[in-house]
Amino acid sequence: MYQTIENTTFMIAFILYVASALLFFVQISKLAKKVDKAAIIATLSGLVFHTIAMGARTIGAGRLPFSNQYEFALSFAWGIVLSFLILYALYRFGAIGAFVMPLAILVMGYASMQSKTVRPLMPALQSMWLTFHVGTAILSYGSFALACAISVIYLIDSKRSEDHKILADPEVSDILGYRVVVFGFLMLSIVIISGAIWAQKAWSRYWAWDPKETWSLITWIIYAIYLHLRLRRNWKGAPAAWFSIIGFASVIFTFVGVNILLPSIHSYAT
Amino acid sequence: MKTRTAKVIHFFASLKVAIILLLLIAAYIVIGTVLPQHGTEALYLERYPATAKLILGLSLDSAYSSPIFIILLILFSINLALCTITSLNGQLRKMKSNYYPYFREEEYAIDGVEESQVQTLLAKQRFSVVEEDGVLRGAKYRWGVLGAAITHLGLIILFLGGAIGTMSSSEEMITLLPGNQHRFEKQGFTVELDDFYMTFEPSGAVKQYYSDVTVIDDNGNRSSETLWVNKPFHHNGLGFYQANFGWTSNLQIFDEQSGEVVVDGLLRNGGSYFYQPKHLTVFLYSYYPEMGIGHDQTPVKMSDREVNPHYLVILYEFGEPIDYYVLGPGEHIHYDGLQISFTHSIAFTGLLVRKDLSYPIVLASFITIILGLIVSFYLYPRFITYKDGKLITSSRRNEWVFYQSIKSTLTKKD
Repeated sequence: MYQTIENTTFMIAFILYVASALLFFVQISKLAKKVDKAAIIATLSGLVFHTIAMGARTIGAGRLPFSNQYEFALSFAWGIVLSFLILYALYRFGAIGAFVMPLAILVMGYASMQSKTVRPLMPALQSMWLTFHVGTAILSYGSFALACAISVIYLIDSKRSEDHKILADPEVSDILGYRVVVFGFLMLSIVIISGAIWAQKAWSRYWAWDPKETWSLITWIIYAIYLHLRLRRNWKGAPAAWFSIIGFASVIFTFVGVNILLPSIHSYAT
Repeated sequence: MKTRTAKVIHFFASLKVAIILLLLIAAYIVIGTVLPQHGTEALYLERYPATAKLILGLSLDSAYSSPIFIILLILFSINLALCTITSLNGQLRKMKSNYYPYFREEEYAIDGVEESQVQTLLAKQRFSVVEEDGVLRGAKYRWGVLGAAITHLGLIILFLGGAIGTMSSSEEMITLLPGNQHRFEKQGFTVELDDFYMTFEPSGAVKQYYSDVTVIDDNGNRSSETLWVNKPFHHNGLGFYQANFGWTSNLQIFDEQSGEVVVDGLLRNGGSYFYQPKHLTVFLYSYYPEMGIGHDQTPVKMSDREVNPHYLVILYEFGEPIDYYVLGPGEHIHYDGLQISFTHSIAFTGLLVRKDLSYPIVLASFITIILGLIVSFYLYPRFITYKDGKLITSSRRNEWVFYQSIKSTLTKKD
C-alpha cells in the first residue's frame, strides 16, 4: 500500500513541479502576467506531495529514505525545492523558480530511473550518523543547486538591458548566490566531518581516500576557493557565478559520476 | 621598506599561494581517484604505456602518500599558519571598541528613522552602543572577525592530527574462533572471543555481526564487551572494530582399515589438507551455509544462514585432480579405504585492532572548523551608525542581507 502511495504522490509531485517550472518560465518570459502566485502554489503543492512520497517510503522501509541512489535523489530534489521555497519566503524572488525547478525535475527524473526496491540497511549503515550525514548532504546539495540557478540568472541578466532582466538588480542575485553558497558550504563541511566521525566508528578510520569522500573534498575545495576569492579579492559577478556553476558540476559528479565510474565503499549508494 | 624575510613571509601567507596550493592538491586528489592506486609497475606500463614513467616518477600510483602530495600539504599548512598569524593583528585591532568600518552611505542608508526606533532596535538586538557628538553607533559580534582565524586553526590542527596519525598509528587484523584468545603484550591484556553470531533479515541478508569478547588483564580481571559494526570498543589505547567474518569447517578422515579417525581439524574456505600416507589432497573449495543451484547448475551461496549447508570439495592424488564432490555435513567421500567428510562449520570473527592516538586531536579540529565557519558566516561583525534621522548599516561579510534585515525590522515597527 505504501508503495502505491509513494508512486502516486511521486508522480503528482513531478507533474506539479513541471507545471510550476512552466509557470515560472511564462512569468520571466512576460508571456502572461501575475502567474507567479500560481507557480508558487504549484511548487508548494508539489513539495507537499513530494513529502508524502518520502513519508510513505519512510513508513514502508521502516527508516528515512537516505540509503540508495533512488532514495537520495528523491531527498535531493526535495532539498532543492525546499531551499528555493525558503529563499522565496525570505526575499520573494519567484523568478529563480524558472531555473531551479528544472534542476529539481531533472533530479526527480533521475530518481525515477533508479531501482525503487526497498532493501534493508547493511550493517555499516545502521547508525544514527546516517540521518545526520545524509540529512545535511540534502541541505547542502539543495543549496548548491539553488546557488547554481541564481548564478545562471546572474549571467543572463548581466547581458540583458534593464527592462529585460530576470531579477531587477544583478547585484542582489550575486549576493543571494553567495549567501546560499555559504549555507551549502557550512552544510557540506558538516557532511564531510560527520562522515569522518561515522567512518571512524564503522571502519576505524576517519579518512580513507574513498572516491566519494575524496570528491566531496574536491567540491569543498572549489567552494572554499570561491569564498576566499570573493571575500579577500572581492571576486563578484560573472567569475563568482561561473565558480558556483563549476562547484555544482562537482556536486553532481560526486553524486552521480562517482557512483557510476569509481568503485567506492559508498557503493551501497547505487 | 619591507625586509627580505618580511617579503618571503608575506608571499607565503598570500591568498595567491593558498589558491595555487589548493588547486595542486585538488589536482593530485582527482588523479588519485582516477588512476588505480598501489598497482604494480607492469600494470601502469600495460594500461598507460605513454605516461607510465610520469605516473611512477611523480608517485601518482600512490598519490595520497607520495612525497609531492605530502610536501603540498606541508606548504599549505605553512601558508595557513602564516596567513592566520599575519592577519591576526588587524583582526584584533578591529575587535577594539573604538573601531568602526567605513559606512557606504549611498547604498546602505535608511532615511527618516526616529532615534527612539534606533535605540529600541539596538537594545533589542543587543548591540553595544556609543553616542558621541550626536552620532549614535552600534556594534555587535566584533569578535566574529576571528571566524576565519578559528577555521584556519581548525585546519592546522587537522593536518597536525593527520600527521601524528600517519606517523604513530598501527593496525592489525585478528581472526578468532569462539574460545580463542589473542594476547596484546605491550598493552598487557588478552582478548578472548566468547561467541560470534549474526542476525538476519527475512531475505537472508546479514542484519548485523556480533562478537562477544572478554578482556582479561594481567591481574586476571575480566570484563565483557559486545561489539558490532558501528559499535567498536576501546581498551588501553586500542580500538577493536568488527571488520569481517568467515567460515571454518571441520574435516574428518576416517581410515576404514584401521577403524581410526586419522584427521580431525579445521579448514577454511580455499584451504587444503595434504594426507601424506596416500598422497591425497583435500581441497575445500567453499562452504555454503545455504546452498542453492545457479543457472549453470553449480552450487551458489544463497545466504550465511545455516539452513542448507553443503561443502564443495575437490580431491587430488599426486597433485592430479580426481573429482569434485558436493557434500552435506557428515556425508562421506569413499576413496581408497578412506571416508572423507566435513562434520560441521564454525563462523570466525575478524576484528580490526587499531591504535591511533591522533583521533582526539582530529575530533578537536572538526569542532574548531565548524565553530570557525559559523562565526565567520553567521556571527560576523555588524555595525550601525545613526545621525539626523539617517541610519547606515555596515557589515563586510554580508552587507546587503544585514541592511535588508535592519530595514525590515524598522518597517515592521512602523
